Amino acid sequence: MKLEETIRILYDAGVEFVVIGGAAMGLQGSAHLTRDIDFCYARTAKNMDRLAKALEPFHPVLRGAPPDLPFRFDAKTIGNGLNFTMTTDLGDLDFLGEVSGLGPFQDVLAASDMKSVGGVECRVLSLEGLIKSKIAAGRPRDLYVLPELRGLNEVKKKTGLE
Amino acid sequence: MTRDQEKAVLDLVTNPPPGSELARAKEFGVDLTLFISTLRRTPTERARSLSEGSRIFKIAKQTLLNER
Repeated sequence: MKLEETIRILYDAGVEFVVIGGAAMGLQGSAHLTRDIDFCYARTAKNMDRLAKALEPFHPVLRGAPPDLPFRFDAKTIGNGLNFTMTTDLGDLDFLGEVSGLGPFQDVLAASDMKSVGGVECRVLSLEGLIKSKIAAGRPRDLYVLPELRGLNEVKKKTGLE
Repeated sequence: MTRDQEKAVLDLVTNPPPGSELARAKEFGVDLTLFISTLRRTPTERARSLSEGSRIFKIAKQTLLNER
């Protein structure tokens, strides 16, 4: 996983995105580790085209799919789908069109904070947003991280930390 | 993080107020002292730490698979 590099590549390509999931938890100060990077992306034609072009040099393939399965991550494919879990030269990357408990990109964007990562100003899902999405997802692994996220949120509120 | 903020975090994680989310997290088994180091880092440092953690995990997994 190359978080800093991936954020820079998407930013440089002008992709509208919000870092969500485990990577957002880590960027907000959680001690949890994650093996993939999850993003929510804007489903405008321009953004889907930018996203496809940004990832093309990194050979995206569907994670866990047979190697001979024909797959091309282009704007048309993105437009016809919604959520994509992929393996790329940058590591495992997931792109979601909407987030459970929050909704589509604009709602996720509204629930995000600005963070400077490697000199790039990018949007990262807030702790409140993460808590909401984890409750809605409701899987054991989502519920398991709630006490830490709530505790972290309390520390930040009480100390004024970012 | 300023010195005052660091002191406030230290106070909160070592003595979570009764009935607080921190107290509940500690009861659940969360090591609250980890917040001291993670919150001291900048988002860039946190991103690098995540990537490094993922790299080490991958190596460990591969090592275990090779030993089978």
